[in-house]
Amino acid sequence: MTLTIRTAFIPILLSVTLVHGAAAGEVVAVVSAKSHIGPLSKSQVADIFLGRVNRFPDGGIAIPIDQREGSDARNLFYEDYAGKSPAQIKAFWSKIVFTGRGQPPKSVANEGELKKLIAANPAAIGYIDAAQVDATVRVVP
Amino acid sequence: MTFQTVAVLIAALLSAAANAQSDVDPGTVRADQSLIASPPPMFTFGGFGTFGEVHSSRHDGDYTSTSLKPNGAGYSHNWSSDVDSLIAGQITANFSSQWSAVVQVVSEQDYENSYRPSLEWANVKYKFDADFDVRIGRTPLDTVMSNETRKLGYANPWVRPPLEVYDLVPVIRNDGLDLSYRHLVGPGTNTLHLAVGRSDSDLPLLPGTVGVIHGRKQLILTELYEQGFASARVNYSRANVTINGLEPPFDTFNAFGPAGAAIAANYSFDNHVVNIYAVGASYDPENWFVMAEWGHIQAGSFTGNNTGWYVSGGYRIHGFTPYLTYAAATTSTTTQPAGLNVAALPPSLAPAATALNAELDFQLASIRAQHTISAGTRWDFARNVALKFQLDHTRVDAGAHAVNQDLQPGFPTGGTLNLISVSIDFVF
Repeated sequence: MTLTIRTAFIPILLSVTLVHGAAAGEVVAVVSAKSHIGPLSKSQVADIFLGRVNRFPDGGIAIPIDQREGSDARNLFYEDYAGKSPAQIKAFWSKIVFTGRGQPPKSVANEGELKKLIAANPAAIGYIDAAQVDATVRVVP
Repeated sequence: MTFQTVAVLIAALLSAAANAQSDVDPGTVRADQSLIASPPPMFTFGGFGTFGEVHSSRHDGDYTSTSLKPNGAGYSHNWSSDVDSLIAGQITANFSSQWSAVVQVVSEQDYENSYRPSLEWANVKYKFDADFDVRIGRTPLDTVMSNETRKLGYANPWVRPPLEVYDLVPVIRNDGLDLSYRHLVGPGTNTLHLAVGRSDSDLPLLPGTVGVIHGRKQLILTELYEQGFASARVNYSRANVTINGLEPPFDTFNAFGPAGAAIAANYSFDNHVVNIYAVGASYDPENWFVMAEWGHIQAGSFTGNNTGWYVSGGYRIHGFTPYLTYAAATTSTTTQPAGLNVAALPPSLAPAATALNAELDFQLASIRAQHTISAGTRWDFARNVALKFQLDHTRVDAGAHAVNQDLQPGFPTGGTLNLISVSIDFVF
């Protein structure tokens, strides 16, 4: 056991890839253009994505949709809205998942798919690069 | 309820729920599911683990991370991988927006020094709504703040949680019913958690002997408040506890008349009411964190009435999170009782009485009474993997043992204990 564990360290250490936050554009929270929700603070948006609340302040069900794990948009969003690094977010959800208390938001592969989902569902909320905002979605004020 | 009955019950519920699911008309799926283009996967698999190595300054006994492990760093191993290493797998099944189930299996050093996987938790959950759910089966026993995540190294800042608090209650499972209710209170979220049930935990005693901690009529009540970066929790738990396996030394006291019988009765652990109180708080804004916890167990007998607390803080800088922890454990139980009055006994009985008194003192010295300062760092060097390095320095009170397994003849009470720990934690 001791031997296998010592040798197991080596490949893991060799595969070191430093986590870095790539400098990209600003990320904004968006809802469907059909949504009527009022203004939300960044911490209210973060609470929805961290599963602390599941409704918008007006009482409607809120369904958060994440971007792909490891994507720049996702890392920037959690850094800006929740003040948490990717490792902190992973640790946060690990606690909830591995105690059987819940599951993280569903994630989609890219911004195009995210916008399609958001546009079709007034209850959905997501985040995209500010440059990708178009008429199908509304930036959360 | 034994392991087997729990497993059979879970299997039956799983198959019943799976059959029920196939009868559901797709058109009746609740709104919150139909909003998602593709339905969530029925089964998700995940896991976590730790590879850790620990070195202890004491070579006359073994340091272990819980009293449920038989040996560790010190006497048995110069560097031990048994203290912290483990691997866990979990399957979550989502049958519908209301019904789900989770089974988690953990392989780690167990009471008989094997890595045979054991059923950590297995339960079926029914959500009455998004804020109110019930779980039936084996669930975490969340007495102190992160008892349910103590094995999930990746989620914790340290190599392992401070034992001064976390070893107050070695039992971590509840077989029974578990209710969770969440509601908004002002700007924060309040979660009320109630669990009732039972548990059986295998316990290594002296080398080669195994005991069992039977928890019956377990009740766990937790109140958690979260607001932004802050959280606070209060917990009360109780159980009727029987510890089997320690009877021989204590029963022998009965041979020494009324005085001996009084001692035997005082240290019996049969259907004993145990009360646990815990308070914890944490504040975790962007670049730093601080957390503190206090716990008290009233168990009496040979495990004692004990208190533990710690304060821990850390700072995040470029993927590194250096941290510092101060922890203390105290007991109000007399750890060196008078025992039998040897002088009053016939000379022929004196050696046996002296040996029994020593046995009693030895057992009571296992009650933790110490102060520890820990310094370490976490390094998030790759996605989903963290490397940790930690140094612990413990001052042990007079009358208490520094470590609790494989103690060699003449092991003293008091003294100090230094540990060096390195670990890699991962989730997948």
